[in-house]
Amino acid sequence: MSKSNVIIVCEAGVGQTESANASLIAAGAKLARSRGGRVIALLIGNQIAEVAAELSRYGVEVRLADSPQHADYAAAVYLNELRKLLEEVDPGAVLFSHTYLGMDLAPRLAVKLSVAFASNCIDLEIENGSVRFARPMYRGRLIAKVALDSIPLVATMQQSGAKPELSNEPGVVTRIDASAGSDMRVRAIRTIVPKSSGVDIAKADIVVSGGRGLGEQKNYALIEELAAAIGGVAACSRPLVDMGWLTVSSQVGLSGKTVKPKLYLACGISGAVEHVYGMKEAGLIVAINKDPEAPIFKTADIGVIGDILEMIPELTAQVKSARQ
Amino acid sequence: MKIATFAKHVPISAVTPKIAHSLDRIEDANLAHEVNETDLYAIEEAVHQRSLHQGNVVAITIGGPRAKEALHVAYARGVDQAIHVLDETHRGTNSVLSTAAAAAVVKDMNCDAIFVGIQADDDLQGKFGIALAESLDLPVVTAVTEISFDPQNKRAKVIRELGAGFKEELEVDLPCVFTIQFGIRPVRYLPVMAVVKARTKKIDTLPIDSLNLSVDSQSAAQLRVLELSLPVSRGLCEMIDAPPPDAMKQLVATLVQRGVI
Repeated sequence: MSKSNVIIVCEAGVGQTESANASLIAAGAKLARSRGGRVIALLIGNQIAEVAAELSRYGVEVRLADSPQHADYAAAVYLNELRKLLEEVDPGAVLFSHTYLGMDLAPRLAVKLSVAFASNCIDLEIENGSVRFARPMYRGRLIAKVALDSIPLVATMQQSGAKPELSNEPGVVTRIDASAGSDMRVRAIRTIVPKSSGVDIAKADIVVSGGRGLGEQKNYALIEELAAAIGGVAACSRPLVDMGWLTVSSQVGLSGKTVKPKLYLACGISGAVEHVYGMKEAGLIVAINKDPEAPIFKTADIGVIGDILEMIPELTAQVKSARQ
Repeated sequence: MKIATFAKHVPISAVTPKIAHSLDRIEDANLAHEVNETDLYAIEEAVHQRSLHQGNVVAITIGGPRAKEALHVAYARGVDQAIHVLDETHRGTNSVLSTAAAAAVVKDMNCDAIFVGIQADDDLQGKFGIALAESLDLPVVTAVTEISFDPQNKRAKVIRELGAGFKEELEVDLPCVFTIQFGIRPVRYLPVMAVVKARTKKIDTLPIDSLNLSVDSQSAAQLRVLELSLPVSRGLCEMIDAPPPDAMKQLVATLVQRGVI
């Protein structure tokens, strides 16, 4: 049956996590199953045979381009290979993870195909045979249920934590030679690896994170003191890195690190979609913010309304006496 | 060098918009609007690049009558020229129409570069810059955090984000579309008087119909919002609303009880 297959664009390059591919497989499988189709993954990179093998365990067919020439991300290569794969597979949908790669590629594909596109989808549901995506709008303050009225459906999917089912029959991994085609107007030179500060916030059990609500750079010391008192690490949201207070190795979010500590304290952080992305799977999330309508309170388990410049020193003192 | 930079006028991000009765859109008649945040970064970058290379920066907005306020802000930040594509029907929210309008305005400008914020705060789609580039058959680089132009050789070196702190350095041929990421350079503090003074500067207003766009604004190539709602909380958020000593005492007690400290 045509339009029943689903192409998923998986990743194995920098900044990607296993769970991004896993939740993409889950979403693709849900859609393909509803239509009696298959899931076919495109995977491009260098030294990524293990990632391909992992994908195939879920019954996904993998088209693998694995070569040193693909060590750096190049949109033209993906688009060229997708063009060929679309002709072969005739999919009803092409799904990407909501990563920098997905955010770069998915709209390009949609525009080339003159089809509708939905970015940053939390979930997809099938209602009476029609696909509905849920996605944030207005800086995440509202959620929209949306329809895409063209085929194939093109969307980027947030990491959902969903685990796909393993398959009895692994999917076939087919090696392909991928190339960019003729458009060479954008040329990759090199990948820049972030400098490590020594502390890997992604490994900590407790993360104390500061945001714009701190106001001035000197106030970040309050975060560091609380982190030390509570036995955790200090981190931050993007604006503090943009302002030069900290390096990206301290940043939690889509552009920074994804953390899953048992306790995440968001101090003066509004809860922008891109930040929540990096911490929503924490065990317990506590948010302190003076704006009662801050989106962070939708993600937090415990919310405190108040001025962090008053709350944090008080919390540090209380934590110290509790731990004595 | 010539740079065109797009500035979308969007509902302010500090408040949750009210959902209209029909559920498929917001009530934005009395809602305050502001320049889309990453478009502000784009304006700052454009003005900075002009200071390095000399030339001209033109700011463009596509929206309803009040969208001209976005151009007042752009003027206050130092652009040389401002164009308002007046779209009274859709007020800049129809992506197919806005892309076509943008392409029509820019195509004969001989720009070296076109800047757009990486995504609009209202639709969060991140598609406009890419669609515009495709329309004009130009290359596009997204999530740009640094640009170094070589206008004489019609090239630029660009750094873009890849996520998780990783970045990529690229070389591009000009003209090129750049979608600008947060933090490319600081957004300067703007005294209120700067925007007030900027209101006297000339804005070229082009009614969207005068562009003779041959696009179907009802095109299926755009997403259709069926229903808006408030986000469902991840679970029940236990709220503590008390003065600091009591609030923090309660919080610590809860954290100890839950075994996290």
